[in-house]
Amino acid sequence: MTDTETPRAETSYESVDAVLDSLDDEGLDGYSYAYLDEHTKREVRRSILKAVAIPGHQVPYASRPMPLARGWGTGGIQASLSILGPTDTFKVIDQGSDESVNAANIRRLARDTAAVETTTDTTDSDVIQTRHRIPEEALSEDQILVLQVPVTDALRKVDPSDAANRRRHAHKNYGKMWVHLYENVVEWGEINIASRYPTMVAGRYLMDPSPIPRWDVPKLDDADNLFVFAAGREARLYAVPPNTDVEPLAFEDREFQVERFGDATCQFCGSDDTYLVEIEGDDGETRYVCNDTSFCEKRQDDPELAKDHHRERDVSWGPGTPSEGADATGGDGT
Amino acid sequence: MSRPGTVQQTPAERSDHAVVTTLVDHEVTTHTFDEAVRRALESHGRFDSATPETADIVHTNGSPTWDVRDVRSGTLVEPSAGATVIYRVDALGPDATATTLRLTGPGVPDERTLRVSLPPTEVDAIADAQSVYPRGVDVVFAAADRISALPRSVTVEVV
Repeated sequence: MTDTETPRAETSYESVDAVLDSLDDEGLDGYSYAYLDEHTKREVRRSILKAVAIPGHQVPYASRPMPLARGWGTGGIQASLSILGPTDTFKVIDQGSDESVNAANIRRLARDTAAVETTTDTTDSDVIQTRHRIPEEALSEDQILVLQVPVTDALRKVDPSDAANRRRHAHKNYGKMWVHLYENVVEWGEINIASRYPTMVAGRYLMDPSPIPRWDVPKLDDADNLFVFAAGREARLYAVPPNTDVEPLAFEDREFQVERFGDATCQFCGSDDTYLVEIEGDDGETRYVCNDTSFCEKRQDDPELAKDHHRERDVSWGPGTPSEGADATGGDGT
Repeated sequence: MSRPGTVQQTPAERSDHAVVTTLVDHEVTTHTFDEAVRRALESHGRFDSATPETADIVHTNGSPTWDVRDVRSGTLVEPSAGATVIYRVDALGPDATATTLRLTGPGVPDERTLRVSLPPTEVDAIADAQSVYPRGVDVVFAAADRISALPRSVTVEVV
């Protein structure tokens, strides 16, 4: 964290060629450390601290314009760049992949402006920015996961009025969401929500866990790491601290369930305990592959590798990890 | 803040100065007892002065003359408008000969104890100020180069 701002260099050029020559570098001279100016970072950090102090509550922040359209991860970038320091290692994933254009560009922005190391290995990173997934490998207490959030309020799907929803959060009035879940059960026989599963944080706030699959929701509960959720377009931040109760909403007789893949295993590494996605080959046949590419590569080298292989003790980390391994439905069954 | 009651090292000595200057700029209102902090921030145009009862960031040396129960605690709709109170204390952590706090809640596995050199009455006042959750105040204790946080989400008990 630095508190000095480098003034933009005032230069006058003799000719057009001289201007063009000056563009040979990355053009990053004069930018503040980590791209954002100190004032913006300070404001984001203040909001993150309040978000951590009130788990699950959406804290407003300024959300500055970024060199990227709102809705493409600008909230996540602002949170990440405000947290990162020069000794940190940064990883960015987009739908489980380190190689998507968006992830690669965000990683490069942080590398060039914040002078951080970047990595694709979950266990090597200090800060991970992610869109739509939580990594398969268990995170530890010195890591921070920053999630990009398109829609901040879980109640938005039952009432589009933000003012009304904020009043509902104030009074912990989540009746409308329970009715929505009940209607789901009546129509489908089970709760039919693929992602953004409504989740209760520390028994107080209903939270939209961003569009992670149901598979990842149990990882939020009693984790060792801090989760920061940041929405650039909606200018809100919220957080789940470590060791916090996070419970997906469900009924006693209609339990929360994670995705089921039947007998499918990953085409590349053979895993049957990771979140799989369908791909269709040229022959029209559907195959399954791991969604988390970095862990899939490790599993291809060592198929027996556990999700908490780097940790000293067994860590509960969603479906297919120690305390929930025997429970085919995943979650804590509540 | 995400691990209430753990004692962390700050890179700069006078950790309360480090915390205040990290948080304060012209967008928030501040109350401090410390003239040096006030002058330093004012010279950067970052200090917007307020009374303890109206400030966003409140800085005190040990037990304050005002009541921590009277500082801003936000509203139910926007509890994050509650103030952050920074206490400069003499000692913090296992060697502190003073009040022992037992903490439970988010960020604390089972329970955690913290020793801080503040009178039990002041700690009770903090617990009171935080008891209107989700409204309330967030507290940072700072001694020499050590800090520890007490966000409003934890339950504090004097042992």
